[in-house]
Amino acid sequence: MYIENLTLRGFRNYSEVSLTFEPAVNVIIGSNAQGKTNIMEAIYVLAMGKSHRTHRDKEMIGWESSFAHVKGNIHRRTGPTVLDVIFTPKGKTVKVNELEQQKLSQYIGTLNVVMFAPEDLNLVKGGPAERRRFIDMEIGQASPVYLHDLASYNRVLKQRNQFLKDWQGSRRDPGALLDVLNEQLAAQAAAVVKRRFEFIQMLQGWAEEIHRGISRGKEQLEINYVPSADVSYGMDLSTLKEAYEQAFQTKRDQEMRRGTTLSGPHREDLLLYVNGRNVQTYGSQGQQRTTALSLKLAEIELIRDQIGEYPVLLLDDVLSELDNHRQSHLLNTIQGKVQTFVTTTSVDGIQHETLSKASIFEVSDGQLVEVK
Amino acid sequence: MHYPTPISRLIDGFMKLPGIGPKTASRLAFHVLDMNEEDVLSFAKSLADAKRELTYCSHCHYITDTDPCRICNDTTRDAAVVCIVQESKDVMAMEKMQEYSGLYHVLHGAISPMDGIGPEDVKIPELLKRLQNDEIQEVIIATNPTIEGEATAMYISRMVKPTGIKVTRIAHGLPVGGDLEYADEVTLSKAIEGRREL
Repeated sequence: MYIENLTLRGFRNYSEVSLTFEPAVNVIIGSNAQGKTNIMEAIYVLAMGKSHRTHRDKEMIGWESSFAHVKGNIHRRTGPTVLDVIFTPKGKTVKVNELEQQKLSQYIGTLNVVMFAPEDLNLVKGGPAERRRFIDMEIGQASPVYLHDLASYNRVLKQRNQFLKDWQGSRRDPGALLDVLNEQLAAQAAAVVKRRFEFIQMLQGWAEEIHRGISRGKEQLEINYVPSADVSYGMDLSTLKEAYEQAFQTKRDQEMRRGTTLSGPHREDLLLYVNGRNVQTYGSQGQQRTTALSLKLAEIELIRDQIGEYPVLLLDDVLSELDNHRQSHLLNTIQGKVQTFVTTTSVDGIQHETLSKASIFEVSDGQLVEVK
Repeated sequence: MHYPTPISRLIDGFMKLPGIGPKTASRLAFHVLDMNEEDVLSFAKSLADAKRELTYCSHCHYITDTDPCRICNDTTRDAAVVCIVQESKDVMAMEKMQEYSGLYHVLHGAISPMDGIGPEDVKIPELLKRLQNDEIQEVIIATNPTIEGEATAMYISRMVKPTGIKVTRIAHGLPVGGDLEYADEVTLSKAIEGRREL
């Protein structure tokens, strides 16, 4: 799929701008603080109905405007679609082909995007919560049932944590209610972890191959899900549930003492290995960056597996952070397949045929002009 | 806007009701001013009477003006089956169906540690006592299909099963008369989970 047209009105520093894009690579050049990332944000908003930078929709309404409007003509395998996202101080409206959608969940999915920004390095360097968020968002994009299971898990977890807190330090027997909460939490944990294992299995397949390509066959990437109970890929729901119940039983005294739940999907993590060594701890900056890039490019392939066409790729300020070889591998991967938006302060020094064929837009203080 | 005191008191009163905001409250209040006095007095009386005369049935804890309540007193009903619900209004929903002829037990809430509600804070001890004395052979648990409703159902089931009484849980899934294509994914997946052999 690709974006044919994008129109912004009252969006951040753009009072009115309308652009036509190439199905291939589009480069947005400009100095700092001119509005490059705002374009990326607008595309992200068009896909997800919300920003990747802020929870407050009002922030996106320009200073001199009473509303912000992002409109896009999307070309999909199945034909063209028009998307509209309008923010006013009162709320937002989303439309597909001029038809207002009551639920955001019905809007999302027409335009798929994958964004790679400098913060994504945290996927490798950051804490386990970052990686769990990545997993949950990826699975959730395709599966509303997963999001429901995850929300249920978190709800039971809150109830159980409160219960443990209430009983903290008590020597009395907490009785059957703890058993009930254990059973309930284990059942939700099983549903969540089963999907996570399946996702990691698919991600591993693609990421491994992509990583080998980027590193010219020198590096072998391995992704391991680290569960907090005795569980593994391929187990069925009832086996997983029993394993979590067992884990709660084993840590019962410890949990009663600390007043919180110590096992479950909320304590689990991904470990990333390059050539058998943990890249989170021992990897060089470059290896960590390559690993993050491999995960993101694997994401593109996963989406294609699910929906039958490639999503749109947004590369916000990352091209310049990669060395020549990685740049050209990245550009080779997307060449002719994936519509890509790249922001950068300059294209000098990047020699690749994909870029020489790209459309180039120059941003200067809220004005965007196609220069090539 | 500055209203005379009697009407602002009336507006405040309406605003204490669920689902009523300031606009609806003032609309209702002004409507009351237009009503004839007889109707207003009888309305006020029914409000006060409802509060004063209704109590909870000592058997099933459903709201009633006689104790035991009409349902518990009705000898044509099947005393061997008890349906457990969270609120009195759930009994009304079940009764509208006119298909259920057993008795009820109203819990007045669901177990939720976050809200400080444990098994003893809803009418579970009363239920267990009732099960010892009465000739009950089956309990149908009809708590809401929420996290808290499920926890309550599981808790009751654990408590009741050792007594040998049959414990059942109402089904959840597709609404009757609905098209499959309009069901949301979560409801559909629950319907698949709860499928049965034909």
